[in-house]
Amino acid sequence: MYKTPSSRRKKRNDTKLNLAPVLDAIFIFIFFLLMSASFSKIYEIASDVPMVSNSEPPKNHKPLALTIKVYEKGFYVYTGVPSQRIKIIPKQEAKYDTEGLHKFLVEIKKKNTKENSAILEPVIDITYEELVLLMDSVRMLRPTDDDIYGKDKEGIDVRIKELFSEIVFGNIQS
Amino acid sequence: MRTTRFIRKRGRRGAGRNFEIDITSLLDILVILVVFLLKSYNSSGIVMNVPKGVELPMSQSQTLNTSGTIVQVSPTKIWVENKIVVDSEKDRKGTIYSEKGRLITPLFDELVSIKNSITQLEKSTHGAKKFSGKINLIVDKTIKYSYVKKLMYSCAEAGYRTYNFVVLGPE
Repeated sequence: MYKTPSSRRKKRNDTKLNLAPVLDAIFIFIFFLLMSASFSKIYEIASDVPMVSNSEPPKNHKPLALTIKVYEKGFYVYTGVPSQRIKIIPKQEAKYDTEGLHKFLVEIKKKNTKENSAILEPVIDITYEELVLLMDSVRMLRPTDDDIYGKDKEGIDVRIKELFSEIVFGNIQS
Repeated sequence: MRTTRFIRKRGRRGAGRNFEIDITSLLDILVILVVFLLKSYNSSGIVMNVPKGVELPMSQSQTLNTSGTIVQVSPTKIWVENKIVVDSEKDRKGTIYSEKGRLITPLFDELVSIKNSITQLEKSTHGAKKFSGKINLIVDKTIKYSYVKKLMYSCAEAGYRTYNFVVLGPE
């Protein structure tokens, strides 16, 4: 059928790309991605293999040799060479008192600002989850803890950000 | 004459006009996508595969992951770089352990072979990545310390000097 030129022009103006189904598909795809994604972030806790050294310790400096042993009753904290027990932190309501241990270690850190290492010796069979909790309480200073300041190489006061961050397991050969 | 000119010009008449697409919804989706990608972005650049059956413990640690040989441990299996080396459901207990039960032999063997291949490549290829001696331990949270100790001992005996315990960070 013959159409006048004016009617043809009108029809062309109305042409529009229909993006609705494409956008629907993209939206479903994004929804699927969001649902299947895990937003959990993965970090690490580093620990060195214990080494036996033949070199003598410096005479002027007494090493702290902080050792934390885990027994059925709770945490036993030792210091010095030969090691001497300085504190027992018993379990609270059948759970290890990591908070109590942390507070005690903060007090030790205040007196030994240059020390960064701690030896962990779980004597009983704790779970890996409990071990990670223990490492957290030993390694990190929290924002709620008291500020601890130490001296840097130039003798300027600097705020210490970590507690005893260098963790070594003392009994992996036993 | 007038009709023929009209027919000649009809193609050009429509060409000058702008064709508009409503992209508002498309931009909305793009914003959602960008937020999603930024949220799930891992700046360490290391991909850790946590196998089925392994639940990582929570930690307050904020230390980003570093590269190293990956060992994944579930209550029944051990993988090294996604390859099963110990399957307690199939393997006999006596064949797995040595050195009075302290060493997990298949794990030790696999780690030594990985270490050897890296050091060999290091010697033969200029600019090859050096053996870092780091091991990333992806361990299920229910596993007991006595078993973790065996893992650590096997890794240390194989020549690895640093353990990186992989944990779930605060959200």
